[in-house]
Amino acid sequence: MGNTSIIVRKEVSSLLNEKTLILAIIIQLLIASLSSLLVLGLASFFDPSALGKYDTPNSDIGIVGEGEINRFIEKSDARVFHYMDLSVALDDFYAHKIDAVLVVPQVKSGDAGIIRFTLYLPDSDIRGTLATLQLKAPLEAYEAYVRDVRGTRIGFEPVRLYVGDMPKKTSTYFEFIYGVLIPLLVFTPVFISGGLIIDMLTEEYERKTMELLMVTPVSFSEIVNGKMITAIVIVPAQVLLWLVLVGINGVSVHNTWIILLMVSIIAAIIVLTGAIVAVRFKKRVISQYLYSQILILMFLVAYLFPDSPFNLAAGLSAGSIGISSLLYCGAYAVLLLPLYVYLKKTSAS
Amino acid sequence: MRILTISRWELRKGGTDFDKKTIAFTAFLLVSIGILSLLLAQNGLHINDNIYKAAVTDPYIASVLETDDRFYVRVAAEDEARSLFYYEGYDLLIIGNAVTHHRKEKSIAALDALDRAVLRYDEARLLGYNDLNNTFPVWINVERLSREQVFQQPSLQKLPEFEKTPLEDAGQAPVMQTPVQGKTAQPARTPSFTELSGIKKGLPMKEQDLATPSHFNPPIPFKSVVMSFLFIFPLFFIAQLYSSSIMEERVKRKGELLLVSPAAPYEIVIGKLLPYLLISMLLTAGIIAYIGGTALMLHILLPVSLMFLSTAFLGAIIARSFKELTFVLIFLSVILSGYIFLPAMFSNIHAISIVSPVTLVVKLLENEMITLHEYLFSTTPFYLVSTLVFMFGIFIYREEDLFTQKPIKSKLADSLQVFIGKVPAPLFFLSIVMLPVVLLIQLMLIVLMFNIPLRYGIVAFIFLAAFVEEVVKSAGIYTVFSRDLKELTTRNALAAGILSGAGFFAGEKVLLLVVISSIAGSVFGSVMGIGLLVYPLMLHVTSTTAAALGMRYMGTGKYLLSVLIATLIHAAYNLYLVRGVIFG
Repeated sequence: MGNTSIIVRKEVSSLLNEKTLILAIIIQLLIASLSSLLVLGLASFFDPSALGKYDTPNSDIGIVGEGEINRFIEKSDARVFHYMDLSVALDDFYAHKIDAVLVVPQVKSGDAGIIRFTLYLPDSDIRGTLATLQLKAPLEAYEAYVRDVRGTRIGFEPVRLYVGDMPKKTSTYFEFIYGVLIPLLVFTPVFISGGLIIDMLTEEYERKTMELLMVTPVSFSEIVNGKMITAIVIVPAQVLLWLVLVGINGVSVHNTWIILLMVSIIAAIIVLTGAIVAVRFKKRVISQYLYSQILILMFLVAYLFPDSPFNLAAGLSAGSIGISSLLYCGAYAVLLLPLYVYLKKTSAS
Repeated sequence: MRILTISRWELRKGGTDFDKKTIAFTAFLLVSIGILSLLLAQNGLHINDNIYKAAVTDPYIASVLETDDRFYVRVAAEDEARSLFYYEGYDLLIIGNAVTHHRKEKSIAALDALDRAVLRYDEARLLGYNDLNNTFPVWINVERLSREQVFQQPSLQKLPEFEKTPLEDAGQAPVMQTPVQGKTAQPARTPSFTELSGIKKGLPMKEQDLATPSHFNPPIPFKSVVMSFLFIFPLFFIAQLYSSSIMEERVKRKGELLLVSPAAPYEIVIGKLLPYLLISMLLTAGIIAYIGGTALMLHILLPVSLMFLSTAFLGAIIARSFKELTFVLIFLSVILSGYIFLPAMFSNIHAISIVSPVTLVVKLLENEMITLHEYLFSTTPFYLVSTLVFMFGIFIYREEDLFTQKPIKSKLADSLQVFIGKVPAPLFFLSIVMLPVVLLIQLMLIVLMFNIPLRYGIVAFIFLAAFVEEVVKSAGIYTVFSRDLKELTTRNALAAGILSGAGFFAGEKVLLLVVISSIAGSVFGSVMGIGLLVYPLMLHVTSTTAAALGMRYMGTGKYLLSVLIATLIHAAYNLYLVRGVIFG
């Protein structure tokens, strides 16, 4: 045990001396400082309608023709300009006076046929995206209205729910922040530590210092354990920093301590995996290459199961699960044993 | 010839690294990844499962909610449901069909989710009727027209003003016109079930042309940016392999043998670079062929590959250990990726986006034209900087820097010292040579500054930009005096300051003529010293001389302080220049 702690102290001081840990934190901070853009970018990819809530100006929409839809569009955020014919509207569209042109058909809700709108949008332009967003709600409301009129013909009864006091604002970022962003932030240090243990071990092999260390009273497993402990303990420290930062930005995170516990367990699993790869292949090039593939694999597996660490982090931070998640943490901790045994076996051979 | 021999060795070494065991394991991993992706594509991602909790009294409503994985539903009698909602943190309470929610972010989000879940449930039932006219009566046919982009300067938030279009007289009967290119005659296509139900699964990459209102999603604004990531992704791996290979030779000291061979350092460096450059260009060409791009993209991505490889090379020769290499590389690639991708997100919004070559790729992907001027503007800094990095790297590609544990700072000073020893009037030319680096960093800063409001952004940019320029101008002077290449006298310090400042000024003017004119008109442009001639010369000379004199009187140990003083002088002048924008 004493020897292991010597190794831990040596590795920690080398991390601090080479300023690698500080660089790691700067890297993460840099990503965080870009997050206003990153959140906008990622969130709009995750759910394009999120853009609509991002302080956007009203779009100017040209409407050709008249119909029941006008009533719904007037209630929306879009500014409406009426046109008599399409060619004039398109001229204004190309002159950047309006962002979209909606051609309203003459079919009414009481008629039998399909009501088919034609919408002209600028190709690959953010203003087209905004126009779409602002038209979606009135079109949906109109669809519901037409369904109410026509649904009775086929005897369809929609599910009806009534909300006491409808909130003014909606919350589009919620699922993105808790479901994607926080799990990603929380597990980044884990992935970094997995790479770190590979660097620590392969360096000893390639410099041939492992053989030197082996002739000292320190045993091989003490060396590996010491390095692994170093790589694991820095994970919850970084995660805590992240959660505090996220908190400062006004996102309340629940169950911080359970998250830290779970992240530590997952870090142990990843670090053990990294150590197994490093001990088996001994070369940095190969080990890092294989590790990144294993990481992609684990990433995919994580989204396959509802109780994966990713979703646990989401549920825990949002406050949807609590103590019951300890059960899953326990299940993950059980995985550590076979991995450790395998590492022992690999290093013995 | 020697270069090619070294390239061949490098390739062979890479071949032996990947032995049978490794290849088998890689193949196993790749196959597993493929199978898992298929599984995920079929079953959908599990994100946010059971994130909302709802207490429901009506079992029918409960069955509706259970169709959505995001809900954890508990059916209970009214009293129990109420206590779950008020005391046990449930997000929604549904008694009969009356919904109650907390005034909390999460509860409101749950309400949104409920809305979508009910709509999806209804639509799934409507599909069973097989009567499109009465179940999905409203359709939207989207026609995408390309129109020329308008750029706005200098703020993102501000949108161009234009006169109000006069409202047409709404009282008259509308005249229906057929659209310009008779494209509307298509018969109403009956949508398939997957079209209606499968949209939620996976990433919504495909843009629809025909949809009902609830499936009518806005086009993804950053689709082309995501696609361009395809090109950059392999570069991360190749840069990683390249740096590993160099670092391994340093660690195992195998590189020593090459160094004592007749091959010159530049031959070794270029020889080792070639295979990786070749592989990355082949991969890029493959991807271009796959997604149907043009050969022009290869021209744009060549400097990007060079840039990634040069940063990998730099990392590999300055790092002291594998750990340090990993972090230096991640650090450099994060910055480089930010520089490449953030501007590309604004490819259709703001002119500044052209600083990134990826913007040009995005434009080509969207079938837009790019001009020669745009090509030069975005790629020249990359060509110049990567060449510089390799040049300064070759300077220290020698025994005493490769196989010792020198700190990063002294290795950088080493390479400057070699430059100073090789060139006449070194301080003058060093400033000129380093200009592309300054330009690249400053462009990167502009990109970052778009995160903060314009007014603060400019002030922050002025100080940071001045700091970067002062560091570059005085780095040579620091090297000269700290390494005792010249005696540290007032006379020498003055001469050094004047030479270095004048060199920077001269280089800046030449560079301006070549590349910058796109951003010359903006506020950032005037901060970067475009326009007046006499004052900038005096400014560069004065501030650098201040730094040199600072080192003379406080000693080279106080280098940072000297640079900060020079920065203040420099920034004060620039603040004065743009006072109108900031205080006006």
